[in-house]
Amino acid sequence: MDRRTFVGLLTTVPLVSTVEGETVPKYRIVSDYRPASVPGMPGLHPGKVIAVKSGKCLDASGDKVNAEIVREMMARGMRELTGEAKEIDAWRRFFDPSDVVGIKVNCGGHPWVVSSYEIVAGTVRNLIAVGVKPSQIYVYKRFQNQLDEVHYAPHLPAGVRIVAAERANRNIDNTGYDPATYVEADLFGEEDTRSNIMRLVTERLTKIINIPNMKDHGATGVTGCLKNIAYGSFSNVARTHQRGKSHTLSFVGTLAAVEPLRSRTVLQIMDGLRGVWHGGPFAHTRRYVFYPKQILFGTDPVAIDRLLLDIIDDKRKAEGAISVWDRSPKYLDVDNGTQRDQNPNVNIIIREPGHVEYASKLGLGVHDLTKISVREIEV
Amino acid sequence: MNSLLFLLALPLLYWQGGVESAPALREAGVERLCVPPDMAESWRKAGFSVVPMSQVEFASREKLLTPGIAARADVASPTRSPWVNANGWRILRDSSRDGIDKYHYDLPAGKALLAAAEAFAYGADVILKIDPSDLEEFGRMLSFLRQLPRDDLPTLADLAVVDDGSTLAGEVMNLLARRNLLFRVSPTPLSQFRFNIKLGTEEYPKKEAKDPSLFALKIRRLLTDEQRRLRIYGSEVVICRLTGDDSRVRMHLLNYGGREIAGLRIRLRGAFAKGEVFVDGSGRMQLTDYALTDGATEFSLPKMETYAVIDLPKR
Repeated sequence: MDRRTFVGLLTTVPLVSTVEGETVPKYRIVSDYRPASVPGMPGLHPGKVIAVKSGKCLDASGDKVNAEIVREMMARGMRELTGEAKEIDAWRRFFDPSDVVGIKVNCGGHPWVVSSYEIVAGTVRNLIAVGVKPSQIYVYKRFQNQLDEVHYAPHLPAGVRIVAAERANRNIDNTGYDPATYVEADLFGEEDTRSNIMRLVTERLTKIINIPNMKDHGATGVTGCLKNIAYGSFSNVARTHQRGKSHTLSFVGTLAAVEPLRSRTVLQIMDGLRGVWHGGPFAHTRRYVFYPKQILFGTDPVAIDRLLLDIIDDKRKAEGAISVWDRSPKYLDVDNGTQRDQNPNVNIIIREPGHVEYASKLGLGVHDLTKISVREIEV
Repeated sequence: MNSLLFLLALPLLYWQGGVESAPALREAGVERLCVPPDMAESWRKAGFSVVPMSQVEFASREKLLTPGIAARADVASPTRSPWVNANGWRILRDSSRDGIDKYHYDLPAGKALLAAAEAFAYGADVILKIDPSDLEEFGRMLSFLRQLPRDDLPTLADLAVVDDGSTLAGEVMNLLARRNLLFRVSPTPLSQFRFNIKLGTEEYPKKEAKDPSLFALKIRRLLTDEQRRLRIYGSEVVICRLTGDDSRVRMHLLNYGGREIAGLRIRLRGAFAKGEVFVDGSGRMQLTDYALTDGATEFSLPKMETYAVIDLPKR
């Protein structure tokens, strides 16, 4: 039995679902990459989350970011995460000058909620301070048109690369994906049953920093670390939700666990300066934008996303909206995005917030709140 | 196939324009065409190979659908898996029985390229009436078809459809073709196939076939994806006709989506060496990311617009 077959068999063993009656599709995972001795997820600090908050990080309107405050928030967060006294030493725990580093940003919530320029620029600044050349830093996501809308270039040093796998989400441009590394599954009888990882991840990057936002999501309940790194690094993922049903419960974690993505994603910086409590992952309107004014640091994507579930759900409760856990058919208006955008008590798909717990069962992190250590810092 | 037969196999243009349009046709590379009988002589004198054909004769040929994708929200997802109007299944079906073997397209602007490719890929006797604005593109496709190596290989299939001549059976064939489930049409079961799909039997009841998409999915799952001769990844709008014999295969890939596709991934069961690739609009091309794995050959086609032909010798 060769290694490829071995990996495939391991991953097609059915796992216990976290939702009663939910069936887990049969997944065939093809990857020739071996896990690192300490895979990046959950990484060096399983179950540990540093929450750095500051009421001063945004102006009163929420439009303008206070760059100095964010800089301080990042320094405090990284020092606390690693226990290092100096910020640069904290970053050296993860990176050295030989690394080629990908920064996975989120632009889906344009124009209101995207990975902030200040946090992305701060990340780049620290990588350069460690000795990583700008040309070895890649700000990336799947779709070029979304990167173009957010336009990070003016905020970053010359030489930093900003790259995408496809021009847009049209399913016609596959050259940016690795044909030899993929997850195969027949979810709804679709013909194209493969989701391939970006070539950038397999062929160039040695490390990845994940910078998601705090957002609600119509299919997964929330979109945080797991969804951003998984659906943001693989092709052909929109096929997981159709006509009110979603396979995101198991697919998100399954993708995130694929090597080399799992091993190379070594740092999670959740941008919670702003958030979206309904209608996500988009932010077409400001109506559902809110301002958590915090940044979460960690290496464990499950632990951070577990906190995110409560942050989004608490906000929804405060706004009188149904829970992200609500599966009732009476709130379901399949594929009616217009209604969903008008009414926070409309779901267009049955959400699968259990994807976070599912990912924990794949070894990606700690889901049990009693085992998650949260250190809060006020700046 | 000899040169004359090959020339005759090329899609033929039905042209009602006057002989003053000869320079435009020449420029497009059109040398042979159908014209109304009263214009035949003047076109001959202008140096063209002419087949006289009245409008009635043209219309008496079986009309084919305008190929491409169509908005049918009731039966298809407009973004992920749109409804495809394709004629290949019908041509294959007709070729298995006596009767219809001559067709025509009456095409709106923008469709000549795909229609010409489709007609050629399935070896149909087709005459195309095109929008004059498509003349250049039509000529480009003719030029591409002329440079292809001659070939007349039989259709390869994973299963047989036992044709009862019904509309229902036709819709099943349509959806099987749409999913690249390769089939051969026969009036009787064919022993070389593990699956002979005969509607009205216990295994394949007609009431199931009334949802032909779901029925095609049932067939796919019976066959299993692992056992299919052909899989296509990276697009839901490319349909393949696969032909071959003991020594080689030819893939005719037709893109019904109307937009260039980059990096189409193909899995072909069996071991094949790197062969020749011809892509309309790009010429010869090399396959990339070639791999032999799990009893199949996989490779990527760097790009395709409307039509690509891949010839692979068996290893």
